Amino acid sequence: MTYAHGKHAAPTTFLSKYVFSYDHKVIGKQFLWYGIFFLGIGGMMALLIRWTLAFPGEAFPVLGPLLFPYTDGVVPPDTYSMLFTLHGTIMIFFAITPILIGAFGNYCIPLMIGARDMAFPLFNMLSFHIAVISGVLLLASLFTPMGGAAGGWTSYPTLSTLVGSPGSGQTLWCLSIFVLGVSSTMGAVNYITTVICFRAPGMGYFDMPLTIWGLWLTAILNAIFLPVLGAGVMLLTFDRVFGTTFFLAGAAATSGSGDPILFQHVFWIFGHPEVYILILPAWGMVSDFLSFFARKPAFGAKATALSMTTITILSTLVYGHHMFTTQMSPLLTQTFMTLTMTISIPSAILFANWLGTLYKGSIRFDSPMLFSLGVVFVFGLGGLTGLYLGTVSTDLYLHDTYFVVGHFHYTMAASVLLGGFAGTYFWFPKMFGRMMDEKLAKIHFWITMIGLNGVFMGMMVVGFAGMHRRLYNPFVYEFLEKLIPINKFITYSALLMGVGQLPFVWNFVYSLYKGKKAPQNPWEVGTLEWTIPSPPIHYNFEEIPTVKCGPHEFGNPNLKDGRDFQYQTEELV
Amino acid sequence: MSFLERIAPPEIISTNGHLIDSLFMYTTVMATIFFIFVCLGLFGFSYKYSAKRNKKVDYTYGNRKKQLKATLLIGILVFVVIDLTITYRSNNDMIAEFWNFPKADEDITRIEVLAQQWMWNFRHAGADGEFNTADDVLSNHDLHIPVGKKVEFRITSKDVIHSLFFPNARIKVDAMPGRISRLWFEPTKTGVYDIACAEMCGTHHYKMQAKLHVHSPEDYAAWKAEAEQLAIIGNDTENIDNYWGWQWETSGKEDLAKNSENDESVVMKENN
Repeated sequence: MTYAHGKHAAPTTFLSKYVFSYDHKVIGKQFLWYGIFFLGIGGMMALLIRWTLAFPGEAFPVLGPLLFPYTDGVVPPDTYSMLFTLHGTIMIFFAITPILIGAFGNYCIPLMIGARDMAFPLFNMLSFHIAVISGVLLLASLFTPMGGAAGGWTSYPTLSTLVGSPGSGQTLWCLSIFVLGVSSTMGAVNYITTVICFRAPGMGYFDMPLTIWGLWLTAILNAIFLPVLGAGVMLLTFDRVFGTTFFLAGAAATSGSGDPILFQHVFWIFGHPEVYILILPAWGMVSDFLSFFARKPAFGAKATALSMTTITILSTLVYGHHMFTTQMSPLLTQTFMTLTMTISIPSAILFANWLGTLYKGSIRFDSPMLFSLGVVFVFGLGGLTGLYLGTVSTDLYLHDTYFVVGHFHYTMAASVLLGGFAGTYFWFPKMFGRMMDEKLAKIHFWITMIGLNGVFMGMMVVGFAGMHRRLYNPFVYEFLEKLIPINKFITYSALLMGVGQLPFVWNFVYSLYKGKKAPQNPWEVGTLEWTIPSPPIHYNFEEIPTVKCGPHEFGNPNLKDGRDFQYQTEELV
Repeated sequence: MSFLERIAPPEIISTNGHLIDSLFMYTTVMATIFFIFVCLGLFGFSYKYSAKRNKKVDYTYGNRKKQLKATLLIGILVFVVIDLTITYRSNNDMIAEFWNFPKADEDITRIEVLAQQWMWNFRHAGADGEFNTADDVLSNHDLHIPVGKKVEFRITSKDVIHSLFFPNARIKVDAMPGRISRLWFEPTKTGVYDIACAEMCGTHHYKMQAKLHVHSPEDYAAWKAEAEQLAIIGNDTENIDNYWGWQWETSGKEDLAKNSENDESVVMKENN
């Protein structure tokens, strides 16, 4: 791709450099700060939820009396509903999406495919600014007279219509999600175009790093399915504001009956691909990092890319397994069950390839590698526990229990979080030109690993014992009383995990200013972003590179100059 | 209480609940075996091929025919051994049991359920055996059924979506406004058990519980006789909250055919 119009000069003022920036690197960092901010809020909400489940009726220490003065620091039941609703919403749409897709997508795509910027820089900038508007709408909903949305992140009608949520918080929630959809769709269109049109000369699709494959497939799913969610929440907004009855039925549907189940279909047509939207970038990164740090070409890289593509396609066909208890027709149920099961073929291939990459490698246990190995472990657990929920009969029992919560946290929270940390440790030197502290990173890894397995394994255990989701006080049920000690264990694990993030925060902030200066290529990796200085110059590449080999060239016996890797710009020896 | 007792799911009181537990256990065994392989690879290779112990790497793309075949074989093996097996078993269980609703002429207990924020309403047909008549036995929070006899529920909701969950029978079904869903099981044990709402239905979702009283046939007959008497005396015909029942529609092809014949006859009569 040639830049016929030449390069613009680098911006100099604060506003043009950090706020209204067209530079994909700056926008990537903006999304990173934005995501980390919301990750903190969502994490605090998780602790409040966990506290309530382990110590029902007891005041939340320190912060409780400030937040809930009318109940002496105890989380009230209506606030509890808002907490789990917004915890889900924030973590999915405002933390994981901006970090994995917004930050790494923006930062890595042009650098790794050898482009000077995204295809539509203005779109890119607007995508962040619109995401900010969406975040403001969501936070504003907390300050409405009846509080924020409280119908669960799935916001099933009729609970999310005026029948169940009369406050304007739910309306603001709908608008916030709609606006965020606009932002993400803009980003997605941008990523897709950039990957198709801006790859450096010589770079075929299978010469792209698998990170780019993951981000690109994610963008495709985002572009197709976020508008579906947008349509759904817009119809819900109509029901709430303009008195339509798309999703109303029962006693409240006085002017004609709609169907609340229709919303569930619309929601999960988007919602199931969303799971893969979140996990695909992490898969891509992990597939790359395992090869980078095992100093060995990615085993079956093409098969990995094609498996990810297969999963992308299959993910659009299986959404019905979220709705088995709505009693769909048996034929539909059987179809969705069988289609869901087929996903395990490409998933098993992914695992085989990951382990194949490690086999006979020379593995360096730097922090990005540790986190990547962590992803393989937790995603193994998350993927396998999905089997129980894709099976109709076991789902009859497990649906809406904590087993589901544990399962999707393993896949969406644990895997994605660990993948995000791996990416942060890996690209931090490129982003900020300084190294993060390895020792703190390793402490962070082990505490996080122990904490999150305690939390999510514990959740699956109480789920199988029958504890269902979204209960303010589960122990009003006699058969759940025996689970109090396990719930306490989960909460202690969650606290441990929360504390475990402090080394990360300290490491991140300290390294930002005082970290060791990063060399151009600290990890000795051959992809294009490591051929340029850290941090990269404005417009990344002095000259657009020509790609001559794949991204995973390690351990080639023909290499003679003491290096065990070669850059993508070099002819394969 | 030992740890295993603590994490055990509630006692099974239905004829088919064990099917779900046994499929759960089967899946657990298969998943554990597969996960052990993953861990062997993950930890074993990490140990054996760490940079300290292994300097020379095997330079391969993993795209030789043999390697591709092995990878694909793993994929298909997992699919056949785990997925197809559990799908097959689950499907058989569903068709033989959970979707195999009692026939119209079977002697079963029939109950209509109305969910509302935050209460379960139950309706027995009363002395005349017809639903939605003045002598129906109405109850909330407490459901009485006899042991050893199939019980079928027809469920709907007044306001938001709820979910009728019998932890001891391992089943649940959503209660949706505008739709009638169905559920059946056959209790095998007398006693008092929990009924839960499993779908988030608002602030007091957690309080939306009811009790399931499974009686011996004699006790049930005694309870029912008394309840029917009380219903005839006590049902307040002025109270609109009592008017939520519907006629019990029988299902199955023959019944449908019968219904449509009836409809025609009605039309004919009107024409005449």
